[in-house]
Amino acid sequence: MPRRISSKGNHASGINRREWLGMLGVGSTMALAGCLGGDDDDDDGDGDDDGEDAPEAGADEPDPLDLSQDPPEVSGEYHATQASSFDTINPIYNTEAGAGTAIGYALDQGYTFDFDNEVVPLLFEDIYTEDEGETWVIEFRDNLEFSDPYGQYTAEDYVYYVQEIHQSDTFPSANSPDWAGVEIEQTGELEAVATPPNPNIIWPETFAPLEYPIPKELLEPYVDAEDSEGLQQDEELLDLSFNGNLGPYNLEEWIRDGGTQYSRNDEYYLRDLADEYPMFGEAPYFETAQIEIIEEESSRIAAIETGETDNVPLPPDRGEQFIEDEDTMVVLEPTPFNTILSVNMRDNGWTAGPGNLFRVKEFRQALAAAIDKFEYIEGIANGFADPHYTWQPEFSEWFPGTDDLTLWGNPEEGVYGEEARDLVEEALDQIDEDYSYDGDVLVGPDDNQVELEIYYNAASDTQELAVDFYNNQLEQNIGITLDTNAIDGTTFSENYWSADPEGGTDTIDGEEVEWDAPTPNNPGPRSVTPDEEWDMATIFGLNTYPRNPLTNDVFFEGPNSSYNPVGYYPEFDAEGIIQNMRNAGTRDELRDAAAELFANLNEEQPYIMISFGDDIEAYNPAVRGPVPEFSNGWDFPAWHKDE
Amino acid sequence: MATQKPTKFDQVDWDNLTGSGRFKISINMKLLLVTGVPVLLLGLYDHFLVGDREATFVRLGEDLGLSSQFEALGLDFNPTSVDILFVFTIFLFLWYLVLPLYQNMRMTKYYWKEFKRNRPAVISLIWLTIIFVGGVLGPFFVAMPEQDLFAAYQPPVFGSIDQVHVNQCVGEISDGRCQGTWEYPLGTTRGGQDVLAMVIHGMTVTMQIAFITTMIVAAIGITFGTVSAYAGGWVDEIMMRFVDIVLSFPTLLFFLLILYIYGAGLGMFILVFGLFGWGATARYVRSKALSVSEEEFVKATKISGAGTYRIVRRHVVPNTASSIITQLTLIIPGFLLAEAQLAFLGIGDTAVPTWGQAISSGRNAIDFAPWIVLVPGMALFLTILAFNFLGDAILDALNPEAEAESEK
Amino acid sequence: MGLARYVAARTIWAALVSFIIVTVTFLLLALAPNPSISQAATQAALEGGDPATAVEQQEQLRGLDQPLYVRYMDFVQGVYTLEWGWSQNRAQPVTEALWQGIYYTAQYSIPWTILTLIIGPLVGLYSAANMYSWKDHLATGFAFFGWAIPNFFFGIILLVIFGVWLQWFPIQYDTSVPVFSLANAHQLFLPVFVLVTGSIGAVMRVSRNESAEFQNADFMKTAKAKGVSPTRAYAYHVMRPTMVPLSTTIVSQLLVIFLGSSLLIEIVFGIPGLGRVTFDALINQDTNLVLGATLLFTFIAVIGNLIEDLVFTIMDPRISFDDR
Repeated sequence: MPRRISSKGNHASGINRREWLGMLGVGSTMALAGCLGGDDDDDDGDGDDDGEDAPEAGADEPDPLDLSQDPPEVSGEYHATQASSFDTINPIYNTEAGAGTAIGYALDQGYTFDFDNEVVPLLFEDIYTEDEGETWVIEFRDNLEFSDPYGQYTAEDYVYYVQEIHQSDTFPSANSPDWAGVEIEQTGELEAVATPPNPNIIWPETFAPLEYPIPKELLEPYVDAEDSEGLQQDEELLDLSFNGNLGPYNLEEWIRDGGTQYSRNDEYYLRDLADEYPMFGEAPYFETAQIEIIEEESSRIAAIETGETDNVPLPPDRGEQFIEDEDTMVVLEPTPFNTILSVNMRDNGWTAGPGNLFRVKEFRQALAAAIDKFEYIEGIANGFADPHYTWQPEFSEWFPGTDDLTLWGNPEEGVYGEEARDLVEEALDQIDEDYSYDGDVLVGPDDNQVELEIYYNAASDTQELAVDFYNNQLEQNIGITLDTNAIDGTTFSENYWSADPEGGTDTIDGEEVEWDAPTPNNPGPRSVTPDEEWDMATIFGLNTYPRNPLTNDVFFEGPNSSYNPVGYYPEFDAEGIIQNMRNAGTRDELRDAAAELFANLNEEQPYIMISFGDDIEAYNPAVRGPVPEFSNGWDFPAWHKDE
Repeated sequence: MATQKPTKFDQVDWDNLTGSGRFKISINMKLLLVTGVPVLLLGLYDHFLVGDREATFVRLGEDLGLSSQFEALGLDFNPTSVDILFVFTIFLFLWYLVLPLYQNMRMTKYYWKEFKRNRPAVISLIWLTIIFVGGVLGPFFVAMPEQDLFAAYQPPVFGSIDQVHVNQCVGEISDGRCQGTWEYPLGTTRGGQDVLAMVIHGMTVTMQIAFITTMIVAAIGITFGTVSAYAGGWVDEIMMRFVDIVLSFPTLLFFLLILYIYGAGLGMFILVFGLFGWGATARYVRSKALSVSEEEFVKATKISGAGTYRIVRRHVVPNTASSIITQLTLIIPGFLLAEAQLAFLGIGDTAVPTWGQAISSGRNAIDFAPWIVLVPGMALFLTILAFNFLGDAILDALNPEAEAESEK
Repeated sequence: MGLARYVAARTIWAALVSFIIVTVTFLLLALAPNPSISQAATQAALEGGDPATAVEQQEQLRGLDQPLYVRYMDFVQGVYTLEWGWSQNRAQPVTEALWQGIYYTAQYSIPWTILTLIIGPLVGLYSAANMYSWKDHLATGFAFFGWAIPNFFFGIILLVIFGVWLQWFPIQYDTSVPVFSLANAHQLFLPVFVLVTGSIGAVMRVSRNESAEFQNADFMKTAKAKGVSPTRAYAYHVMRPTMVPLSTTIVSQLLVIFLGSSLLIEIVFGIPGLGRVTFDALINQDTNLVLGATLLFTFIAVIGNLIEDLVFTIMDPRISFDDR
């Protein structure tokens, strides 16, 4: 699972400068959790159109490009706008979504996914398994050329890159974990065979095989000299001048705070696919392309208003305005990142008194039930979000449907308000400490109202609104109040969200569990805590991995999973269910196993689930290609302007 | 001046002269002790004995066994350290700036006569008085602005906004535009907070920054500047080199660095501003004091055998007062500005309702809901302007020489 | 002490001050948590890797695996050999990053400084000469307006009015425009205007007040009595003593705005100058770049102070070098 982050991310999309500050925290985790692979424009899609949901009537819903049409005219410029600049565009070291897009203009990867969730081979001729995921065969196209002097891109380059960079100890690259335990072998000039550590019937969906093409000859001197610093600072890797015919555009210049500029690549290899997709015949269709960085939100919005740019991500409170504006086209892209309320079940959580009610399932359910998801969606996300009941967005093919789920925080059809109070009463019966209701107020053993500390990202306007909203809802429905604390994302991540991995053992339901591979984000049992106390936090949203639900094992495979900062102990057989998912031989088997997992997570609410936001993208209406899909942009080389 | 007739006109009996001032505690000092010390004690009490989550006055009531009386009086405040320091500074201001004006009624009347002729300055004084009173008393009458998601982006009374931007309109809708109401006379923000309430609570913070920081800066700066100027020699050299270092810090960069890394509560803001902000004052005071000490009358006093303390206290400080006051009035808006700038950059405690935070929170909506930026922005602008006019008028009023000449 | 020795001594001092300040910065940064490292650990954890190794790799990559004093020694050595390291957040050498920032910052700073130097004192003198007339009030009012209105606030408002609503000026700074072109002047008009209005206020104010003081001084009366022409009298007897506090004000005012507001102006107008380079580096804790930028800013501040001092000494003959 690569960390090339594809989504502009729910926060990254509506990003303003202050929120961008917050990207330090939010963005980084998103980056890590980002398991989408590819870059924005080679983003992969999901077949289920029904998941797509345009909350506002009147949103433009452009049709996808019909790739069987004849090529359009080549004309003008495609001018996209982003909010934050790139750390690096060195393809080996990039970990950012924005920079991924910038690299993707100049370099393709192995494959992508179309709107029907089918693999579309790009640099690969094909990627397939004939033994239920035991081994995967990768075949390369024969028309791929680097710039001089590097010659043809072959299996040798690919295998060398993987073995000598990702699988080497000398070069700390971003994709190393994807390749840990994977055996890769060159079996022909244009063929390689990979053997993942466990059989995996949807290995391409993990995005592990996706690598940018890098010439072996470029890497060799650094590998021989073990010079990782030199590799980071290599000029060719930073100006992408080796790209040959491997991407739709050639990078002309990267102005560090200003963005990137491209010219059309006349020799783009994808043109040879004209038989299959006639519209790729003359691709790409812009003379020049540009990604401009505008940090100030109001300036960014003004740029689309005045027609200076062709694409700008919008914050939620501007969506409606631009949907009604006929001079812009708004496209709502669903995202896999959720909005959650994290509750600390470790020993340093629940600072309001003795005990820790967060550990009681009913209490977490009560929290979920006490917050009106629809008011959140209307009031804070301005309608550009969907309710979040279990660990999968509705557009995912693995989403089990709402029939078997409890709709927490849904005043109409689910559990909300009074019922939340009942759930708290149930939870109180299960603990020894003396908490009780005095009228509408939950009081602790010291006779004071229960007040909890909630942390939110100081740089996020949305989170600032959200914590006030949670406070009002919780006070109204279950009689507890929140003390709101703004905090910098990095500080939170360092001092509250992670700790030195200590390991240890704990007895859960009479069973001894040992933490044998503790990580900073799951440093051990609940007794192992970060430096600072905290009760609740909205700082991080997490990826729900809608393409490959198995990836969610990092969060939920037992108390000992690799990412468990909140100290959640599943009260169902999570390990068993996840093992079933691993053993699945077909997609249907996998779907059934996944449904069981998601039904349990809905009951358990390990994180209090609130919503899934949409990315709101404003486009110049002349641009043909953008569609309101998760995989918006996979056919980017065929995008053009209709003037 | 001397009560005793000196034998020679150029000899002064300094012991007799200074004796009266040195050992008697002035009324100002007494008042400060009576009022300020309890406040400081309360601060220490709050810091060391009262828990983080307890309200200071509730606890005090318990400790004194007066809980019921306190409750009856509605004394349940939980002042922060900044609040307590603010109250102390106000006392200092009253006893050492306002009271002396009363004590020297004749001069005050004269100053006032001079001051009054400068109309912008009078208006400024009124404005600052409003801010001051609003800042001190406002929070007792106006609640902290509350979130109301369905009252977001309400326009000010008599204003209107395109309906597309509001979830629900509190007022009437006409021609697709939501009209303002008296419920929110200055409109609301993205979170539905009342802008008027935000501005009033912002006054408190503004005054806290202005008073406390200025006190810190003045205390350090004046002491440093006069001592350095008068001492001369290597003491002056070392002191000024130290000021050099302080002044050479790229301040905003350091504010950013420190506040970003170590958190940005209001107290931290004030402390950092104070500790980095006195260099210019010290240097300015010194250069003025240097000029004054070159004057003939100071030399004359020195030759007559007056002590250092006396010369500094009686001649150097009073003769540089006008410059110092001008300098301080110039410096206050600098701090307000710095706070607003940092808030704009996203540094600062969003829970503290400063004007800078309000401007920052509204700037993304500036093109359709400009009041969120304009109202606190104008308040900030007018306050800074008022401090400037005031400083200017004080300078003119205290500088009879320039005045007398210009009348000719 | 002669002038030359004085300047030499002050310059050595300036170098020392820069060194102290950069050391403080180094320590502040060294004590702060580094986002990229926690990010690496989280990443590794999420992907089933070993976070401890990831942290090590990341530290090694950023040169943070050495003990503090070794890093400090390396850094000090780098400062003097002008090897300021590699900027992790811009993927280019620090010197190049700073140079690019200066390139854009200079484009608006130079016109702004020149305009301030010309307009500020002139308006002040004019105002003082016509004290309490409507001209004085107008000039004072304008100066106060410029000084009092927060630069970034003024910038945003001008941008909304003239950029978004009237569309007279471009909203976003275009880096591809040649430096000496009408288009560049056009896009830099608003930022320069905002900065000039911001800086002339204090300059004008001090020159007005100080010259008001001197124009009534005895030597001025003498000069007038002797029949010296008003222009000459102003130039020699008012301008010169006024220049002492004025020069202090000008230098410090330019410095204050340069080190402070220019960053906000760059953010508001989207100019990728030095301020933004520094700010971005700071919040990403790109240690090398923050240190390099601090060094540069400190250098500017120290040089500014040096100039201020020299001017102060040279202009006011009443103060000798020995007294300083």
